[in-house]
Amino acid sequence: MFKRSITAIVCLLALLACSRQEPPAPARKPAAKKLLIGLIPEQNIFKQMERYEPLMEYLYQKTGTKMKLKILPRYGNIVDNFKSSGMDGAFFGSFTYTLAHAKVGVEVLARPVALDNTSTYHGLIFVRKDSHIRTARGMKGKRFVFVDKATTAGYLLPLEYFHKNGISNYKGYLKETYFAGTHEDAIYDVLNRKADIGAAKNTVFQRLAKADPRIMKELVVLDRSPDVPENALALRNDIDPSLRSRLKETLLKMNLDPDGKKVLEQFGALRFIETRNEEYDTVVKYAGDIHLNLSTYDYKND
Amino acid sequence: MKRKIVIALAIYSVVFLLAGVYVIRTIQTATTNLDRLITLHQVEILREHYLLQIKRVQADLTLIDTPHSRSFDIVVAHILGMGRIIDTCFDCHHSPRGTERLNALKKQTEIYKDALSRVLTLRANASRLAAEEAAAFGIGEELIAQVREMIAFTTSKLGESTQKAMSEIERTKYFLYGLVALGPLVSAVLGFVFILGLTRPVKVLVESTRRLKSGDLDHRVVALKDEFGELAEAFNEMAGSLKEQLQKMQRTEQMVVVGELAAGLAHEIKNPMAGIKVAMSVLSEEAYISSEDKGVLRKVVAEITQLEGLMKSFLNFAKPQKPRLEPVNVNQMLNTTLTFHLKHRAVGADGPGKIEVVKELGELPPTMADPTQLQQIFLNLFLNALHAMPRGGELGVRTCLEEDGKTIRIEVSDTGSGIREDLINKVFQPFFTTKTKGTGLGLAISRQMIEQHDGAIAVANRPGGGALFTILLPVKAEGAAA
Repeated sequence: MFKRSITAIVCLLALLACSRQEPPAPARKPAAKKLLIGLIPEQNIFKQMERYEPLMEYLYQKTGTKMKLKILPRYGNIVDNFKSSGMDGAFFGSFTYTLAHAKVGVEVLARPVALDNTSTYHGLIFVRKDSHIRTARGMKGKRFVFVDKATTAGYLLPLEYFHKNGISNYKGYLKETYFAGTHEDAIYDVLNRKADIGAAKNTVFQRLAKADPRIMKELVVLDRSPDVPENALALRNDIDPSLRSRLKETLLKMNLDPDGKKVLEQFGALRFIETRNEEYDTVVKYAGDIHLNLSTYDYKND
Repeated sequence: MKRKIVIALAIYSVVFLLAGVYVIRTIQTATTNLDRLITLHQVEILREHYLLQIKRVQADLTLIDTPHSRSFDIVVAHILGMGRIIDTCFDCHHSPRGTERLNALKKQTEIYKDALSRVLTLRANASRLAAEEAAAFGIGEELIAQVREMIAFTTSKLGESTQKAMSEIERTKYFLYGLVALGPLVSAVLGFVFILGLTRPVKVLVESTRRLKSGDLDHRVVALKDEFGELAEAFNEMAGSLKEQLQKMQRTEQMVVVGELAAGLAHEIKNPMAGIKVAMSVLSEEAYISSEDKGVLRKVVAEITQLEGLMKSFLNFAKPQKPRLEPVNVNQMLNTTLTFHLKHRAVGADGPGKIEVVKELGELPPTMADPTQLQQIFLNLFLNALHAMPRGGELGVRTCLEEDGKTIRIEVSDTGSGIREDLINKVFQPFFTTKTKGTGLGLAISRQMIEQHDGAIAVANRPGGGALFTILLPVKAEGAAA
């Protein structure tokens, strides 16, 4: 009986072993001669393109693969475009990457380290100093400018702020809410009194503050989000692995190449560092804290 | 002439070179201006294109959120195209004012792009969206106004530049016309001057040659310069030489005639005359002849003796003796002859005048010469000098060795009345004499002898009065060819 049982178990295991099928590997696309890379409107869309074009040209020179930039009017569009426009990759913000990874399966390669040697950013909620708004209560009946529904700094942070301050329906609590589209515009709208409260990422806030002293002088920060990874390059998971490796290697070593160093200086970074999915766990947790289901989240702005 | 031709050609070349340089420079300037015009026209087109692009973006802006709105990518492409055009404008060279205008335009374009970016990315309520679109549209209209103003400014500049360029081209055209007209004219004038400069002297030389050919040996070419002047000088020397040779030939012919005459006289007259002379001498010794007749007979004998001397001179001149050369000290020869001559004069002096002899004898090398002939030459010159000073005077005798060391110079001068200028060239001609009893053969024979010694004799009047005979004798070493 025992032998039978042993035999039966072995046969069952053997059958199971024979019947186990490997998940079908994604069909690899042939090595693309041109990659379409999306850009989110972190700042003025034309300045954004000017900032990234030298980097794309450098990658083309080093890898032989032409890189075409596609600027997008909204953060959420980047997820749509992967489905509709045949986009091969993008420089994702932390939240858009988390969304795109969940919805489309893109894989992150690398992200830049800023000149202050940081490779993360956090969101800020700010008001004018002369507005006397210092708490959530003070925000009642005021105008709030977000960046985009698909941004950590420009939307998740305010949602989390409202959540922790017991404001369940911010649209009813506030007089007006709208989406500026870029962090830059959100900051300037508050500064120029087009909105009373704003949310944006600290890196843009600090960059603009260097050029415009009014920002530090006239704005005050009320809250901040946890640090999340800076905008990173991610590619579709069916991109040729060798091309993916070449691109990654080129990005990681470009600070050792004199030409690469010049491009990095122009870009405003010290180097690129390898980035892994785990580093976005903070964003996933942050979204979870405010009960956002990333796979069903409607990232389209109202 | 050669120098003049070189200078003239150099000037001609420099003038044409300068004209060429001017033409090239003007063409280059015109080309540059045309290039500039083309560039300005291109800029004009570029700005018009820029204006169109802005209007296109404005249209895109107006159509946003309407059923006819263009896709985001097309709008972005239009805006980027607009930005690229203004950046292209900076590639050209502009005046500071132009650059300032362009900078203002660029700044306004950037403001417009910021506003457009905001419109494209903003999601808000309708009134906020409308306000942002209106703001962007207003900025766009301002930009259009600025571009139009710039187009008007450049259009006026373009007109000025076109006018200027065309004026320069016109000026170059007239200059080239001038060159085309003047070039051949200047060449023709220069050619005429050169040809005249060449043919006139040649004509003068041909004419002179013809006159020489016709026997006018006294004709000389004058007033020619440069190389033709040198040719004229050579021509004149040739004419002089021809005349001299002709005179020599004439003298030779005379010698031939005289020689034949002398030979005839010697043969036909001398012997009968000797007979007459002997007969007269014998007759004059006869007792029956009266003393008065004896005087006549002696006079006859004396005249016959004189005729015999004349005959002897004839023979000497017509058939001169070949010099018998031996080493001679010319100074010593002069001293001896002078001493002999003065002694002879003391015995048979004609006039009462006192002759003072001044000797300046330089150191001379011995030379091969015929001492008898030299003595005869010197004696002849001394006799002439004494004859020229009937009332006394100074007889100068000077010798020296010429600087070349190959010629002995002997000068015999007197302080008499000199020789008339119209006769000075005839003193060496045979049978020419100013003396009442002279034969006219002394100086002719002297010259003949000197020439037989390869020497020369000349005569000139001294500035202070009197004549100066100059003999040049070559120094001949013993053993040298005669």
